This record gives sequence, C-alpha cells and structure tokens, in this order.
Amino acid sequence: MATALSGILPKPRFEAHLPVDLDDEREQSQQLVSKSQIPPYGARVGWTPRTLDDYGNGGAFPEIHTAQYPLDMGRAKTKGSAPTQGGALTLEVDGEGNIKYDKIARQGHEDDKIIQSQFKDIVPLRERADINDDEESNDRPDEETVMSTAERTRLALQSIVNGKIAAARPNSIAGGTAAGNNQKPTYIRYTPAGGQSDGFNSGAKQRIIRMTEAPVDPFDPPKFKHKKVPRGPPSPPAPVLHSPPRKVTAKEQAEWVIPPCISNWKNNKGYTIPLDKRLAADGRGLQEVTINDNFAKLSEALYAADRHAREEVRQRNLMQQKVAQKQKEAEEEKMRQIAQRAREERAGITSSAADRSSGLVPPSNRPTAAEMMSKSLGGYGSESEEESDDEDDEAASQREEIRREKAKQRERELRMSRMGAETKAKALLREQGRDISEKIALGLAKPTQSSDSMFDSRLYNQSEGMSSGFKDDEAYNLYDKPLFNGSSMSSIYRPKANADSEAYGGGSAEQIEQMVSSAKDKFGMSGGSKGFAGTDGGRDVRREGPVEFEKEVQGGSAAPKADPFGVDSFLSQAKKGKRAHHDYGSVEKKRRQ
Amino acid sequence: MEVDSKVDLGPLLNKSAKRTRDLFTLNYAQAYDDPASQRVRLSAKISDEYKYSRELPAALVAQQKKAAEAAKEAKKQREEIPPPSAVGDLIDGISAQQSEKSASTSQALTLRTKNAFPDMPEGSGVGSSLVRRSTPKFVRPTWHAPWKLMRVISGHLGWVRSVAMEPGNEWFATGAGDRTIKLWDLASGRLKLTLTGHIATVRGLAVSPRHPYLFSCGEDKQVKCWDLESNKVIRHYHGHLSGVYALALHPTLDVLVTTGRDAVARVWDMRTKQCVHVMSGHTSTVSAVKCQEADPQVITGSMDSTVRLWDLAAGKSMATLTHHKKSVRALAVHPTEFSFASGSADNIKGWKCPEGTFIQNYDSQQAIINTLSLNSDNVLFGGADNGSMGFYDWKSGYRFQTLETVVQPGSLDAEAGIFASTFDITGTRLITCEADKTVKIWKEDPDATEETHPIDWRPSLRRQRY
Repeated sequence: MATALSGILPKPRFEAHLPVDLDDEREQSQQLVSKSQIPPYGARVGWTPRTLDDYGNGGAFPEIHTAQYPLDMGRAKTKGSAPTQGGALTLEVDGEGNIKYDKIARQGHEDDKIIQSQFKDIVPLRERADINDDEESNDRPDEETVMSTAERTRLALQSIVNGKIAAARPNSIAGGTAAGNNQKPTYIRYTPAGGQSDGFNSGAKQRIIRMTEAPVDPFDPPKFKHKKVPRGPPSPPAPVLHSPPRKVTAKEQAEWVIPPCISNWKNNKGYTIPLDKRLAADGRGLQEVTINDNFAKLSEALYAADRHAREEVRQRNLMQQKVAQKQKEAEEEKMRQIAQRAREERAGITSSAADRSSGLVPPSNRPTAAEMMSKSLGGYGSESEEESDDEDDEAASQREEIRREKAKQRERELRMSRMGAETKAKALLREQGRDISEKIALGLAKPTQSSDSMFDSRLYNQSEGMSSGFKDDEAYNLYDKPLFNGSSMSSIYRPKANADSEAYGGGSAEQIEQMVSSAKDKFGMSGGSKGFAGTDGGRDVRREGPVEFEKEVQGGSAAPKADPFGVDSFLSQAKKGKRAHHDYGSVEKKRRQ
Repeated sequence: MEVDSKVDLGPLLNKSAKRTRDLFTLNYAQAYDDPASQRVRLSAKISDEYKYSRELPAALVAQQKKAAEAAKEAKKQREEIPPPSAVGDLIDGISAQQSEKSASTSQALTLRTKNAFPDMPEGSGVGSSLVRRSTPKFVRPTWHAPWKLMRVISGHLGWVRSVAMEPGNEWFATGAGDRTIKLWDLASGRLKLTLTGHIATVRGLAVSPRHPYLFSCGEDKQVKCWDLESNKVIRHYHGHLSGVYALALHPTLDVLVTTGRDAVARVWDMRTKQCVHVMSGHTSTVSAVKCQEADPQVITGSMDSTVRLWDLAAGKSMATLTHHKKSVRALAVHPTEFSFASGSADNIKGWKCPEGTFIQNYDSQQAIINTLSLNSDNVLFGGADNGSMGFYDWKSGYRFQTLETVVQPGSLDAEAGIFASTFDITGTRLITCEADKTVKIWKEDPDATEETHPIDWRPSLRRQRY
C-alpha cells in the first residue's frame, strides 16, 4: 500500500535529512531506562535523568548536579507554534475574495465581538447598498427571545452572585468549603506513571486518595495581605470611525486662552503685573462706592433737629427776655410809684415839718429798696453833714441838692438802661476805675519806652527744655519787663479825684481820703501804716499797679518751704491726739496781699 | 461606390470616431488611442524612463548567466528562465499585440465600439458605489404637533439634574443639586414628598416597575434604594470610587446598572447588594447608561466619545461605536423600535440595535446635548446645555421644532440649561429639568394642525459626510 502510494506520488524534491541514528539511540536509551528503573538513593553516581519519566512524577534529584526540569518546570517554553508569530497576521480573504483588512482590528478580540472598521459602517443605513428595505424593519425582539435572553443572563448573574455571597451563607461555613457546592470528599484513584521502588507503599501499584477541603475557621484573620494588582493591558482599541478633529485656528486658540492665575502672595513664575491690573484683579475697584442714603437722611434729620432746637432756644430766650422785661417794667413801675409816693410823702412831710418845726427823724432815713439803690456815699456824707446843723434854709437847700442829685442819678440810670451791653460794661469799668483804654487813647498812659525791645521770656532758657519755660501758665512772667512802668503806671492805677467824684457819690477825693484816714484812726489803725497781720510790714502799702496775687503756700509761717503739704502740722496734731476742727482753718489759711 | 467604400471605410471611421471624441469627451489631456501614436508614445516613454536600466551591466549579466546555467543543470524539468533582455522583448510584444489589436479594430466595428471611450465614468465598478447607493432614499418626515410650555414647577433649591417617571404615570421624581429628591404629582404639579439622604447632587433616578422601589445615585458615590412604602433608604450599593452619574434598571431582571466618574459601569444585584460585574473599558467618565431586555442589554455613553454595547451575561463589551467626535452625554432607547440614539456636542446619532449599526444623523443643534428623550410617537427630544431644545422626527431625522427655554424670573440668562428630560408614560407630556432650578412640563399644542404648522422640509441632494 505504502509502496503503491509512493509510486503514484512524485518523487520528493528534497530529501529529508533526518538524524535517524540519533532517534534510534533515544529509543534504545528509553527502553533501557524503562527497563532499568531509577536507581535507588546512593546508587545514582553516573546516572542522569533525561526524560520526564526519569523523575517518576517526583521532583529533582539534589545529588545530581545537572540542570533538571521535572514536569517541565522551569524549561523555556517553545514558541512559534501559533500562526501569528511575532504579531504578524496571515492574509485572509472572505468568500468573495476580498481581503479581510479588519483582521488587524480584530486581533486580540473574540470572534463574536462586533468591530466596525469599514467604510460602510459610517454610511447611513438608508444609503447603504448592501442593506435591503425589508432588512430595515426594526422591531423589538419578540417575547421568546427576550425570555430566553433574560433566563440566560439571570443564570449567569446568579452563579456569579452565588459565588460572591457564598462566604456569608451559614451552610457553607458549616460545610467548610469555600466554593460551597462541593461538600463531600472525593476519592481519586492514583496510579503513579513512573515506576517506584518496590518497598514504597508496600509494593502497591495504585493508591486511592480521599480529597476533602480543609476546614476554615471563618473568624480567622485573613491569611494573605490584600495587594493591589496593577491593571492588566486594556483591550485593543476600536477603529476610530470619525474624522480627525479640525485644527484650531489662531483665533479660536486665542479665544480659549486662560490667563495664568497670579497670587497676591506668591509669584513663583515671576510674572510682571502692572499695578493697575493688580488692582483691577483685586476686585475692589470694580465695586462702586455707594453711600447709603440713610447717612444723608441722618445728617438732614440732625440738621433739622439742631435748627429746631436752636429756634426753640431762641424763642425761649425771647420769651424769657420778654418776661424779664415785663417784670422789670413792672418793677420799675412799682418803684416809680413807690418813688412817687415817697416823693409825695416827703413833700407832705417836709411841709408838715416846716409847719411843725419839730426834730422828727425824716422818713427818708427809712431804708426802702429804691433808696438803698439810689443812695451813695456822697449822700451819706452830705447827710452826716446835714445832721450837724439843723437850720431850715440850709435844709431846704439840702433837699434841693438831694433832689437835683436824684434827678441826675435817674437821668444817669436812664442813660445806662438805654446803653448797649458793651458801653454799659465800659461805663461800669470806668466807674470802677479799671478801664484804661480811654487813658491810653488820650495818651495819658503810654507803654514804657525802652531802648531795647520786649522779648518773650519763653524764648530764653530754651536749653533747659520745656520744664523751664512753659511750665507755669498762671505766672505772669511772659515778658521780662512790665508793660507800664514808673510814673505812667501810678497815674493809671490811682484813682483821680475829679474822675472819681462821681463814682464816690459826689464827694471829693480829699474828703474821702480824710474819711478813710479818720475811719482808720477810729479803728486803731492810725497812720494807715497798719496792714493785715502777716503782711510785710506795717508800712503804708499803696497799690502801685493792678492787684497781684500770690500763690497759696500751705503750712505754717515758721516753715513755709520745708513743709509744703502740711505734713508736720498734721503729725503734731496727731501726736496731740485730738482733732480740732477749727484748726483746719489755720492749716489751710490763705494769705492774700 | 462599392470600391470606394471598401477602400476608404477604415480611415473614415477613424476620423469620425476622432471627431466624436473631440465633441463629447471632456478629457483632452489624454490622447486618443490611435495605435500608431500609442506605440510611439510608449516607446518614447520607455526610452525616456528606462533607457539607462534597459540593459544590465556586463558583470551582472555574466553573473546571472552563470546562475541560470547552474539552475538549468540542477532542474532540467524546469522551464527556461527568460533571457536578461526579456524586458525589452516583453514591451515589444505588448506593442506588437497592440498593433495587432489596432489592425483588428480597423476591420471590425464591434471591437472598436467596445472600449471607444475608456476615460468616461463607468456605470458600475469598484469604489464607493458598492457600499453606498447612488441615489439615497429620502424619508419624508411625518408631521408632529409643535410643543409648548405648559407648567413651570419651582421648588428645588439647586440645579435639577435628574428625573424619573413613575410607571403608573401618577407622579415623577426629580433629583437636584440641593441634595434632595422631590416627588411631584404629574397632573397638578404639587409636591408630594421630599426625600433627603444624599450628601451631594442627585444625578440619577429610576423607579422600578416591578418593585415599590426608587433608586437614586449621586455625586457622593452613593447608590441608594428607597422603599416607597416607608419612604426610607433600605439599601446602599457601595463600591463606586467616584461620583455616580447615571443609573438604569434592567426591565426584566432584578439588576441595576450604575456608571460614573470612575469610568466603569457596575452591575448590582438588587437584592443582595453585590456588585455582579464591573464593566470596564471606557477611558473616561461614563455619563449615560441605558438598559434593555435583549442584547445588547446595557448601552453606555462616555466622555471618551464612544458608545459601548455590553454583553450583560459575560460582563464584556460587545461593540464599541467610535463615530462621535465629542463626549457622549445622553442616550435614549426607542420604546417600540429596536434602536437607540446617542447625543454628543457634535451630533445626535441613531443606531440600530443588535450590532449597533449606524442609522443616521439628526440635524445638528450646535450645542452640547445633555439629554435625549424618545417617545413612541417617534419624537426625539434633545435638550442642550445652553437651553436650546430640539424636537426631531425619529424616522427622517428632520428637526421640526427648535425652542429656547425661558429662565424663571430672577435668574441669569446663563442659567438656561437643560440637564435631564423624560416623556411621561403616554408620551404626551415632556418633563425637563433645568439649570434655573425649575422643572418644566411641555405639551403638544392642541390647536396646531398640519395647515397651521406645515413641514418645512428641504431635502438636499448634497452628499452628507459622516
């Protein structure tokens, strides 16, 4: 048969160059090995395991120092059996002879996977030439298909779920199997392939193995640490069936430019940002400053209230003024009436006195308010004079004088009442003799002319600092020299006789001086040389300038400087052990000159 | 006469053929295949291009000869290898054949007319015509009544991002950025219930037709199952690594599919809360998922601008549709046909189901499509991120109405945006969830007729590129 076939077939072009002799050798050696079994331990010198059978389903022999691959473990795997060696694909054609170009796209996918890779896949269904109209009918699958699909899927999913929840089921724990479906032990009949030593397993050729799952304690901590496995390679990409994206134009690109974010605190990239840009980005300039109109309302209200209050105050003042004026008028009226009455009375009395010529005390001595106001020193003086002689004509002349005087006084009062506040103050000052403005205006008093000009004393001693110059505001030591000095000063501050006659009730200055000296004599202060106790000396102290005040000095006269706070006196008092209320006056005595 | 005709017929024919060609052909650049001129041209071309390589160098020739002789001796049965000057002979042969042909054409009319105008376009041959019909069929769009705004429901305090219709058509649920799920009465628009429990925006909702359950997923990586009898969360499906963006219920199995920012679709067993499959394959956020009862049972649309069809039983991807150029944010399954639509910023595309065959494009809305809805009257609604709404005829792809949503008073113009939409079960009401924190209900204009709102359909003969 074989010879007939070889006769029919043409002669082989190439002779197969097979190493026949080597094969024969292998055959023989195998037979030899199978005949002579694996030498027992200790007798393996010179023996090398070459085939799988040499291992007898066991492991490597450690005493033989050659490379051993029991069960082909560790041997490099033979490659090149697959048709796609090195990723090269074989060219395939379909039934019409067209080359299957989508083999490239299908590479690595399962056969049932739908891969759209051709031009027809981007052509709409209605325009495709290979699709007929009846094929376009697009109804949902019928009930049967749906049910079968659902059942198939349900079973598949259920098996997965069962595997997942097996650990949580109690019977699987009781059974001790992780898989959950195989709880009974299985029995395996095992026949060793290679020969084994006769003594092993008491010479039995076969063994029966009972396989059971080892029981697992469900409360055991996991034996293996969970390790993150890197993701496997993704499935090969699907062919892209859309046109590549259009290139962006420069304009489009510019529209999408997002400026870099720039912090106000860090500038790692070192951008230069103009200040106005920074401010603009800050966002503070973007908000318009809007002032709440309630502010305006408040200020308006405040202003109105202020004006209202002022108006009210003004009205009240006006009212008060009017009331005061009324009262004043009423009082004046009353006074006038009283005066009228008094005058009438006096007229009546004088007439009666003239008739009777009796030494009755005139009722003019009775101190009425009007008379108290109108009386002056001169009046008294004249009266005292009047008392000395009691003659009628003289009295009449006296009365005439009084009358004239009173009329004058009234006139003056009237004038005074008509005067403004300023002139009134001036007149009062003049009365008191303290207004020197007229005198200066008349050239009576001139500031002391000195060759060197006046300097503010504060300008000096500046090296001593603030403590020297500015400390004492109260002290009148601003200028180094007084403004008025010498004769002019005395002329200013001494009342003049003629000027003061009016002020002193018409009596001349000499008279007054006399009176005063006599009074002093009367009170034991003869010569006018006696001052107050404690003042300097008994000499006649005459004012030569404005009244000067001296700073109060506390403590006794014995130690005015040593004990400024009166501590010593206080201690001495305390030593005495009693408090004298009246002594406080002496302690805090004020001395005035 | 006869003698004349016998003698002069060939040149006359030739002349007339030449003239005809001059009159009717457009390609003047190509010479008329006069055999003599053809031969001259060929020889000129050969001498021009192959003059220097015509004959091998002497050394090479000797080498080749030697090799040839060796080969001859080795294989006596083999045919002779053509001599080195075979190229020239071959060309000569060609020209001889051509001359022969020309001689034959000069005698027989039939041979001439066979290939008189080789440069004219052929009626059928290789190229796109095998794939594409020369005359595309046009489907005349059916008339649909225009849609108009019926009701605005303002109750959410954030963007309304998801909506689900109850199977009984009584109420619907919306989930919003204020982390609440609100249940509204469809007929009156009254709030029925507010469910709180999510701690971030609620991105997906589904009401099961076979259980009293409401499923919700959110950006807080949580998937919750609410029992609508007690209005409480009864199950959590824990496993997503990032925000969950979409959710779908299987129509026949107790299985829930969620997808999210972690680029996987997870299939959950409803009752045991186990993750049955983690269907990975997308390379970016999976923003839309739909389930249907027959294979492919799961369809996902992703930000990597692909749509994948999945084999649910095996948990493997059946097909990858790479036709979109921008991320796919919306999917809609047709209620009666075995097909679905996918919406992207560049286009809305329709697909036929078992294999995912491309059906057609829908007129581009020039906006980012956030949501798609389909009803059984073959109206496809696409809601965009800028508030533009497109109503399409499903069969023809014609957009019969374009609308812009009106933001509720007090919101910015930029807050016009549609995030989610659904038709009610009857398909007569459209519910849209918008960025101005409102839910709007639209209905078909009852007064509109085909006369008042005629179809303005102009099919263009221009081939569209896809």
